Amino acid sequence: MLEGKVALVTGGSRGIGRAIALELANEGADIIINYLRHRTAAQNTAEEIRQKGRQAHIIRANVGEPEKIESMFAEIADKFGHLDILVNNAASGVARKAMDLDERGWAWTMDINARAFLLCAQRAVRLMEGRGGKIVAISSLGSRLVMPVYTAVGVSKAALEALTRYLAIELAPQGITVNAIAAAAVQTEALNVYKLNEKLPKTWQTTPAGRMVQPEDIAKLVAFLCRDESFMIRGQTIIIDGGFSIAPLIT
Amino acid sequence: MATEDVVRNTVTRITRKDISQFARTTTFKDLEADSLDIVQILVALEDHFDIEIVDEELEGVTNMGEFIDYIDRKVTEKTARRA
Repeated sequence: MLEGKVALVTGGSRGIGRAIALELANEGADIIINYLRHRTAAQNTAEEIRQKGRQAHIIRANVGEPEKIESMFAEIADKFGHLDILVNNAASGVARKAMDLDERGWAWTMDINARAFLLCAQRAVRLMEGRGGKIVAISSLGSRLVMPVYTAVGVSKAALEALTRYLAIELAPQGITVNAIAAAAVQTEALNVYKLNEKLPKTWQTTPAGRMVQPEDIAKLVAFLCRDESFMIRGQTIIIDGGFSIAPLIT
Repeated sequence: MATEDVVRNTVTRITRKDISQFARTTTFKDLEADSLDIVQILVALEDHFDIEIVDEELEGVTNMGEFIDYIDRKVTEKTARRA
């Protein structure tokens, strides 16, 4: 359903981004995978996409640095000439309580999680001119729920969701839809990195639906938001959490 | 610039420490490097040398000397691949 479309997935080498890249390729899109540190993983994901008969291109860029975003989009313009889909998935952040946060950690987190969404959207829209497009941002329930040491990331995701609303209205006349997805804890390697597996309460690990959210759950929702069937959904943050957020005490 | 010099300069710049505090036996803990410092050091070195630093491969690295040796090995491997 996305045949002939060109999609950029930031942070697309592993975890949620990888699942999104593969799902969009399943639907027929050619994929640009942005990554920062895990080149081999990016190459492996690209190879999986090529095996599906789609084009795959990898670009290393720290989306926390505006000049790297600029050069990434210059490369996309040069190689593909246009863009149909932007999935703003790349994320990072320092794990600290508010009272322990310093300016550097705050800036690192906000630059990658919030500012990069604005800068990537601005540049993506130029490549969508005259053809419309789909923009999907990956948020987190931490934008509205308080979680241990998640301060900077949670606030950055709240900014991302607010920006989603503003972009959706501003870009609607250009035929560009903008939405976000907020997931509960997703079963990825990131959980181990932040040792969140140990900290997550049992309710988060199970959810009323009986299991944790998987990357593929998010990927399928992204694909839906990239199809024309979702045309009338604008500026929304869709929660995907197995029912956790509406019934945190029930599993 | 030799690999060791690049690593020394990068580590001291990002951790905001005087380069005189950097010896082969120095650890990231000695330099009071936090997780953000370490990520930024790894990204900077990957940028500079065009290499991939594999987190799992750093698990056995205990001090700056071993870290320099690891980076040096990665740079050598890259050069060999391209030769």
